[in-house]
Amino acid sequence: MPDATFLDSTELVLNMGPQHPSTHGVLRVILKLDGEKILGTDCVIGYLHRGVEKIAEARTYAQFNPYVDRLDYVAAVSNGLGYCLAVEKLLNVEASPRAQAVRVILTELNRIASHLVWLGTHALDIGALTPVFYCFREREEILKIFEQYCGARLTTHAFRIGGLQYELYEGFEREVKAFCDMFLPKVDEYEELLTSNRIWVSRLRNVGVLNAEDCKQYGVTGPVLRAAGVRWDLRKAQPYSGYEKYDFLIPTGQNGDTYDRYTVRMEEMRQAVRIIRQAVEGIPEGPIMAKVPKVIKPPVGEAYVSIEAPKGELGYYIVSDGSTQPYRVRVRPPSFVNLQALDRMVRGALIADVVAVIGTLDIVLGEVDR
Amino acid sequence: MADEKPAPPKPAPKPPAVMAATPWESDLARELNDRFGVGVCQAYSYLGQNFFVVGPDMVVSVIEYLKMGPGFDYLVDITAVDWPKRAERFDLIYILYSFSRNERVRIKTQIIEGYRPPSMVRVHLTANWLEREVFDMFGIEFGGHPDMRRILMPDEWQGHPLRKDYPILQQDQRWVEENLDGASGQ
Amino acid sequence: MVRLLKKIFLVDLFQGLWVTFRNQNPKYIYTEQYPAERPKIAERFRGAPRMNTNPETGEALCMGCNLCSLACPESLIVMTSTRNEVTKRKELVTFTFDTSRCMFCGLCEDACPTDALELTQDFEMASYTREGQIWDRKMLEEGPKPTRYRC
Repeated sequence: MPDATFLDSTELVLNMGPQHPSTHGVLRVILKLDGEKILGTDCVIGYLHRGVEKIAEARTYAQFNPYVDRLDYVAAVSNGLGYCLAVEKLLNVEASPRAQAVRVILTELNRIASHLVWLGTHALDIGALTPVFYCFREREEILKIFEQYCGARLTTHAFRIGGLQYELYEGFEREVKAFCDMFLPKVDEYEELLTSNRIWVSRLRNVGVLNAEDCKQYGVTGPVLRAAGVRWDLRKAQPYSGYEKYDFLIPTGQNGDTYDRYTVRMEEMRQAVRIIRQAVEGIPEGPIMAKVPKVIKPPVGEAYVSIEAPKGELGYYIVSDGSTQPYRVRVRPPSFVNLQALDRMVRGALIADVVAVIGTLDIVLGEVDR
Repeated sequence: MADEKPAPPKPAPKPPAVMAATPWESDLARELNDRFGVGVCQAYSYLGQNFFVVGPDMVVSVIEYLKMGPGFDYLVDITAVDWPKRAERFDLIYILYSFSRNERVRIKTQIIEGYRPPSMVRVHLTANWLEREVFDMFGIEFGGHPDMRRILMPDEWQGHPLRKDYPILQQDQRWVEENLDGASGQ
Repeated sequence: MVRLLKKIFLVDLFQGLWVTFRNQNPKYIYTEQYPAERPKIAERFRGAPRMNTNPETGEALCMGCNLCSLACPESLIVMTSTRNEVTKRKELVTFTFDTSRCMFCGLCEDACPTDALELTQDFEMASYTREGQIWDRKMLEEGPKPTRYRC
């Protein structure tokens, strides 16, 4: 007769290993389970650590620019923008109005591209197999524009310190306008597929709730913070690169659950199209590069500049010692700080909710690990 | 034999260039002076960005006061810079932001090697992973941290990569041989 | 009442299915028959590097100024040059480009004062060996020669 105690449930430690289709990269999450309910998690990261901050100390400022695209590889243009703005702040120059307008257009296109990857992969993790194809079909149009402008689709290296390298190509405005006209009905199409779908709603409502107070405590920024109800966006609070000229709304949610993050990001895509339309109407004429010396040697000092990347607040803290190579470059990655909140969001939920929450945090391991 | 002319005196070595920071007069600086006494927090400003230089033992109290009083409730980043030639080797930097005032401020301290600064976890929860990363990369241990282990490098790694005496091509050879089946490709 | 009917008859699920069926129209289906038809590549695409020669005289446009190797973040361009006593100019002797470490950032192309070094639209540069990835001057002038397969 088996001992009665063999039916006592004990804690099970399950490893959601680095190779996993739903962890959006090489992320290892060690789950402590009671049956299927989660008692605690422990994230192990560092599988993609490439030592980018150490490499920066051995390269000149202009040579480090292509490395920065590889951090958040899904949305490479924002990384480049943040770095160029930080070095320009150290040099105390500002890019010309034409360069700023083109930077805004490319960065907003890049935001749409990043949110499309998020939507496609998040839906795929939940189980919806169609949105990923439609999202990547639209993303193809954006990547074609990037390829024609700077020569690469993913690791764009689009901006240079002081402005732009390439002049706009023939037909840039026409193609961007055509994309905007084509894209807005597609967002409605995604919403038709997902928003009122009962499976989607029941998988996403009240899952991974993070209210505003917790968000501020954990330092979480980006769409996660906005879904909790805090109307804060670095493009409005501390505008950079000419964002104060454009008129757009900041979408917010109410509960801070996964469904609200979904609606916030869908609305952000629409607002990005709005900004692009305004920017492309009047791109000012003029030089594309500001007066920056050929050899970039900022005076001794330091600066911290942060931008609103699609994933949150991306900051660059650069310390210069007066030579041509930076003394220290620190990248403040939004995904790294957002991932800390995973433990808080997932206590007491089921394993399938872990997959949904990792998807909704929109992490990119290149940024988490650098 | 003609005497050798005395060698011309060597020009005095140039002093190392220093950041051109200007003192920062503001309400915040005055509030901190009232609370902690004059000279504890020195306020500077460079390129429009403001920072305070604080002694290492006062940092927790300053950050706690900044959170409760003026409302700097969001810890943006914790990082460190290594200046090996200086007596106080590491520069520890905390970047804070206030939602209500829309203002960003930096707190800098200078610590010697081996000093264990107190952890900021009980004031801001973000500090958990940020301090683990500073420990991993620089070797600065934080006293009172609930979980002080390496975060980006493997747990048994020897050495702290972002220190200036850790060359860029160095690896922990023993760890590589044990875990990656043989010599590395470098 | 309407909500209950919608719930029983799965209206929201059929709405989603209708979107999927709408996209089954053959005019939306696009398949590229690679390698029979090549994709359309932009002019500024940063692909395989190439050394250009003067089209009329056939001599190298490169003047051995070393600006490209100084600009490269990975320091993978190595060149040697000698000074030609007759024309009193530098002449290129060897030029090595290591494509295995190249990240195709385009800084070398931007730095070149003549149009000698250029990143072309070739993307088929695979090789069976690591040594095959280190291109010398001859390979750079001719470009990669991918094997063409017949279907």
